[in-house]
Amino acid sequence: MKWFPSFGFQRRNRELKEEIDAHLQMAIADRVARGETEETARQAATREFGNIALVQDVTRQMWGGGWFEQLGRDLRYALRQLRKNPGFAITATAMLAVAICANSTVFSWIDGTMLRPIPGARDTGDLVSLQRGERNFSPTPPFSYLDYRDLREQNHTFAGILAYHNDWIALTGGAQPERVYIANVSANYFDVLGIKPVLGRFFLPEEESRAIPNVVLGYSLWKTRYAKDPAIVGKSIEVARHPVTVIGVAPEGFVGAAPGLRDDLWATLDPLGTDVWRMTHRDSDWLIVIGRLRPGVSRGQAAQDLDTQMHHIAVAYPDQHLGDNRITLDPMWRSPFGANGYIAATLPILLAFAAVVLLLTCANVATLTLVRFVSRRRELAIRQSLGANRMQLVRPMVLEGVVLSIVAGAVALVLTSWTSKTFAWFFPANAIPLILNGSMDRNVVIGIAVFSLLAAMLCGALPAWRSSHAPAIEVLKAESASISGGSRNRKLLSGLVVAQIALSLPLLLCSGLFLRTLRNLAAANPGFEQDQVLTASVGLNIAGYSNDEAQVIRHKILDRVSALPGVEVASLTDWIPMTLIQKRNDAYPEGHVPHPHESLLVQNAEVGPRYFESLHIPILEGREFTLGDDEKAPGVIIVDQTAAGRYWRGQDPLGKRLRVGGSLFTVVGVARNSSHTFVNESPEPMVYMSFFQHPGYETMVQVKSEGNPVDLEPAVEQAIHEVNSRLPVFDVRSMRESTQMASSFAVIQSALAGMFALIGLVLAVTGIYGLVTYRTQMRTHEIGVRMALGASRVDVLRLVLLQGFWLTGIGLALGLAFALGLTRFIAHLLYGIGADDPLTMASVVMLLGAMSLLACYFPAHRAMLRNPVTAIREL
Amino acid sequence: MNEKDQYKNRIELLQGTLDMLILQTLQWGPQHGYGIVQALRLRSGDVLQVETGSLYPALHRLERQRWVQSEWKQSESKQKARFYRITAKGKKQLASDLNRWQQIVEAIGSIMYVKPEESAS
Repeated sequence: MKWFPSFGFQRRNRELKEEIDAHLQMAIADRVARGETEETARQAATREFGNIALVQDVTRQMWGGGWFEQLGRDLRYALRQLRKNPGFAITATAMLAVAICANSTVFSWIDGTMLRPIPGARDTGDLVSLQRGERNFSPTPPFSYLDYRDLREQNHTFAGILAYHNDWIALTGGAQPERVYIANVSANYFDVLGIKPVLGRFFLPEEESRAIPNVVLGYSLWKTRYAKDPAIVGKSIEVARHPVTVIGVAPEGFVGAAPGLRDDLWATLDPLGTDVWRMTHRDSDWLIVIGRLRPGVSRGQAAQDLDTQMHHIAVAYPDQHLGDNRITLDPMWRSPFGANGYIAATLPILLAFAAVVLLLTCANVATLTLVRFVSRRRELAIRQSLGANRMQLVRPMVLEGVVLSIVAGAVALVLTSWTSKTFAWFFPANAIPLILNGSMDRNVVIGIAVFSLLAAMLCGALPAWRSSHAPAIEVLKAESASISGGSRNRKLLSGLVVAQIALSLPLLLCSGLFLRTLRNLAAANPGFEQDQVLTASVGLNIAGYSNDEAQVIRHKILDRVSALPGVEVASLTDWIPMTLIQKRNDAYPEGHVPHPHESLLVQNAEVGPRYFESLHIPILEGREFTLGDDEKAPGVIIVDQTAAGRYWRGQDPLGKRLRVGGSLFTVVGVARNSSHTFVNESPEPMVYMSFFQHPGYETMVQVKSEGNPVDLEPAVEQAIHEVNSRLPVFDVRSMRESTQMASSFAVIQSALAGMFALIGLVLAVTGIYGLVTYRTQMRTHEIGVRMALGASRVDVLRLVLLQGFWLTGIGLALGLAFALGLTRFIAHLLYGIGADDPLTMASVVMLLGAMSLLACYFPAHRAMLRNPVTAIREL
Repeated sequence: MNEKDQYKNRIELLQGTLDMLILQTLQWGPQHGYGIVQALRLRSGDVLQVETGSLYPALHRLERQRWVQSEWKQSESKQKARFYRITAKGKKQLASDLNRWQQIVEAIGSIMYVKPEESAS
């Protein structure tokens, strides 16, 4: 079988053989002519010639370019060895493929999210996300338009600064309104990101703040709704019942500047002239801002520059800049806007876990390889005595590891092209246009190559180097099988098994902690009813109704839905808890003059009458909102316990007044605390406003059902359509389903950690099983002698078990130390359980210990049952 | 290991001279490997015994340097063998090798065979 093109190597090799053969023939012929017998002549000539194989070898080295042929020869040798051992080859390849795939999958998720935060954008490493005030996950947009413009024009460190604001809107004009995600953007938006249109043009600077109804379509919207119409530019379409003109189409793959979110189309900041207020007021914060650093400018310098500019603005307009005005800059991979904030907290830890799995696998494969090399030690010793040098011995052995790793890498590549797309599975249906997924690109392929190389080094080169140390003469002399490849190899083998146990323990411990966290999260009481609640979003805002029209429609919807059979209570809200969506505002008690940079942020939500009743949140003092709390009535709010405690500790909050977003509101009720974003959050103060007094942007109908809320879905939808058949209704789902979003990252963590831990457990147990079995086999003769000399079967059992016991013990002790160091990094991801939870730790140690001892018991049991007579004969 | 090292040493020791000796042998006519060994032994009066482990690598190296050419021919004893023939380039090399060899011999000789009166002065 020919594996390599040999470039005449075969022919030259054959000729060399013939040449040497001719030499011998002539020498024999001469000797015979001198009177020697055929037989003695042959012997003498051969002796005189010397080591034929060696002469061939040193002659071949003169041919030049030989390294390639040598590589081919070594490779063929390695493949032959692997073919002789299909069990080993398949097992090792499969294990390595799984381990590499674990790494490349997590890496592809990181690559698709954190490393490509804005697909299609140029040099995203130079982009930074601007945040004003407190830094937290999914903050509200931090800048007003005028502040943004000042920063953009007065800074000295940015090549460009863009701003955007995204929201749902409806594409009307077709048979059915279609809900799309729109971004209102500054004119330089595409320019700063480095995006070129596939059709038409993008926005011009002079269009930025003027009411010009132009839109740019996203590629997928252009493809799905307009069938890639090449003449779309210049055509008029209807957005929220207003005619707008398409001026361009964005390139394929570009989905906007918010990492992980998908924009469908883009318009200027105030395309219809309906948002004059927020274009002209510095206290209206609605823009998310991203800047591109000038070449050579560091993030720290830029932050200082913007901080200075922002300070000037805050001094010039103090009333509009209450609260914290300090600027922080984040690179896009951990930008708090969009999904990357959450992802950056989860995926790197999972990648570290995957790396441990890879190490563990390499240790396992190295053990297997070493065992094979030890059993081949006679062959190696013979080759060494025949003149092979160390390099020549090691090369084919290393190549075996390289071949395994390359094949495993190729398998992992195929697997990853599928597993990279599974990231999206972890996110339940939700009201956010999430497009999170892994990506399979050049980075991932390079990643796989690196992982494979690492695997090849660890499971090929290391054991090969060790095995080539064996002193040839001793190996050849040693007739007895009792020497299991010398004590050095025995130590390395034991070390590898100890390493496997020590590495799998932290994996098991972390997964145990994550699983218990997940269970605690599911069992935790968020403080509101989740089971018999249905919510449905009504696209009033996005369909282009005026405020008065919308209020009438809302009243009608509320009446009609309340009257439905099976509905206990119906209410309105603009926010659903635990969906990763939050709204924040500064709130100061009446008469309080905040210090510079003093920020009193509260979360806030607009909720209708009977909201608290529908969610079973008790009103501890005062009352719920009523239909009478409308735009004509005095401003009222309900606060939760945390807010009451912050503003009026030890006083009665009822009747106290709070300034929120510039207006004063009177507290009419105190609600019990409930979870806002996560069950395991530290409580943030919450201020509820009356929906009919201060309508929210979103209008969501919230229904407390008598039975299964899902059964009510068609009825609720129909009731809304009876009020107005053209109203878009979407995100109709049970509260239980909506709130799953809050635990999706906990699910990712526990699912992956659990999978990795399982792999680790299997590897560690098979590793120790394999080693003890092998060592026991090597000692069969010795055990036979011991039994013949009177050792009982229990003695034999103890002998074998004891070595497994020691290895397990050392592995567990090391693993525990390792785990204690490692769990500190996941402590902030845990809920309801400490990172050093003794129960989890004890059960994990017991599980691993018991499994390892069980793995030792089988070979020990077999050894015990051996017949001493046959055991002694076996060498 | 040790055996291998010995071979290496011999190749290195003879490297300069072995090439010259082979080329000189081929001056008298094309010859095969066995023939070269025999010729060198006879002409040196059984003093020089060339190891095959040095000869064949040297022949193949000389061929790669295009100082000799080889072809398969029948020997006088009807044995098919690989005959080496010196090329024009090889002859030039032999001349320069010989020249250098003579210089070395003279140089070493002038050190080793100093006249006594010279050393006394």
